[in-house]
Amino acid sequence: MIADLVIAVVFIGYAISVLMGFGTILTWVERKQAAVMSDRIGANRAYIRIPFTQVKLVWWGLFHGMADGLKMLLKEDFKPRTYDWYAYAVAPWVVFTPVLLVFAVIPFGGTITPARLWEPLAAVFGDKSWPMQIAPLDAGILIVFAFSGLTIIGAMLAGWSSSNKFSLLGALRAGSQMISYELVLGLTVLGLILVYGTVDLDAMVRHQSGTVLGFLPAWGIVYQPFAATLFLAAAIAENKRIPFDLPEAESELIAGYFTEYSAMKMGLFMFAEFIEIAIIGALFTTLFLGGYNLPFMSDAGFAFPGGATVAMPHGAVVVTQLATFLLKVFVVCSFQILIRWTLPRFRYDQVLTFAWKFMFPLALANLVVTALVVWWVGA
Amino acid sequence: MSAFLAHLDTLLLWAFAGCAFVSAALMLVLRQPMRVAMALVSCMVFLGGVYGLLGLHFIAAFQVLIYVGAVMVFMVYAIMLLDPRDESAGEKYSKLLWPGIIGFALLAEALAVGYWNDLPHAPRGAAGEPFDLARFSQAFLSEYWLHFELTSVLLLAAVVAALAVIKENRRHDHG
Repeated sequence: MIADLVIAVVFIGYAISVLMGFGTILTWVERKQAAVMSDRIGANRAYIRIPFTQVKLVWWGLFHGMADGLKMLLKEDFKPRTYDWYAYAVAPWVVFTPVLLVFAVIPFGGTITPARLWEPLAAVFGDKSWPMQIAPLDAGILIVFAFSGLTIIGAMLAGWSSSNKFSLLGALRAGSQMISYELVLGLTVLGLILVYGTVDLDAMVRHQSGTVLGFLPAWGIVYQPFAATLFLAAAIAENKRIPFDLPEAESELIAGYFTEYSAMKMGLFMFAEFIEIAIIGALFTTLFLGGYNLPFMSDAGFAFPGGATVAMPHGAVVVTQLATFLLKVFVVCSFQILIRWTLPRFRYDQVLTFAWKFMFPLALANLVVTALVVWWVGA
Repeated sequence: MSAFLAHLDTLLLWAFAGCAFVSAALMLVLRQPMRVAMALVSCMVFLGGVYGLLGLHFIAAFQVLIYVGAVMVFMVYAIMLLDPRDESAGEKYSKLLWPGIIGFALLAEALAVGYWNDLPHAPRGAAGEPFDLARFSQAFLSEYWLHFELTSVLLLAAVVAALAVIKENRRHDHG
């Protein structure tokens, strides 16, 4: 009982520090990658000077995240005169909390047996093992969609309660856009559920550690390349980033639904957006890129096509799986930032047309074809 | 410590149930439309927590996904667009105070009767395994699909009725 509690606390601590870490690092990656892409030097002004010396630590501008955080904490927390002060204050939290909660069902590693990592741990944990996932629920992907639906309410609440026409327009756009793309997102995942025959995310990852056609890793992107593309596009639109950042288009709406927010309240909206990049990365990794496993790898070790197997000690497997998951997530995040600095912004009517007349029929077609193939293979 | 952990589930269940009850009461008492909607959202989320603690995770997910993610999003959207700030929100009691009280008394009676008669327990398999998504889907698509379709027809009728009521009021205003 105590062991379960300790494991849960450790996992939750790990998840929160990973998400916060990604949120902070990504603000820097976004600037630095933009600089690299447009052949500039990029963020390099913030530094820490070692006291009483002239030694300045720049570290490629990594301290910019710290400077941002300090600025948000120290700035004036402006309070507009609104119709509903309570809704205004609660909105940033309604946006921020569900983004963190989504990570609860994402498996970030295989099974861990503490006693096999270090002998003395057996006194507390026995020889029990735990899946490296905060909440191993059978509902899996449904929980992800349930929580991500809550952020829409937060964005609309923020825009409505600000008593500002720009905010209201932004909230209007955010609402319609997120509802439209959430539908596409759900439809693309349905195809995967048909292929794997489960909604449990950990079972999906285990399914992906085998091979297809004898040599390809059985990743979701191999089964459903089309759905993977649609999923990533819809997820970026759901996160309201360029080229889909119409709800906060600065040349039209100042900052859209969070125009009237300042200091750390605005910081929460920004932070939620950056953490959601990491969440999209984690979801895409879990659904399409084989999750925490390297190709041909499972909890026992490697089993290469052709029959060669490599057994690995438990500690090495755990470390490899944790590192693989983080690396894959980071690559997907970096790819999202690549898209953000490559494509120009849509017009608003184009965003909704794109969702309903282009992506929605494609997602439906993908689902129908997948269903037919699964039925045909099954028969 | 271990006694506390053993009863943690029950404790959380009571906490969630209590919060759901308070938000439901707030939904009835509050007068501003957006706050009523927010109280309803939190009630739905806490009810989802209650389902989750009873072991029906996917029902919890459906509860939040359908009621909050779909129904309440559209309600908030409509409230945001219409932005109703009429004066009646400032009045202490609604015009329908007495029908409300009678309705509440009837509801309390129904709940009390339901409590004294033993409530049905969550369905479990022969070996005591929890009611998971596969079993739910089979039961839903083999036994209850007709009930489900009938409910959707009833809901459509309710929407048409609501439209008729609104039209009646409008005619009254113009006349």
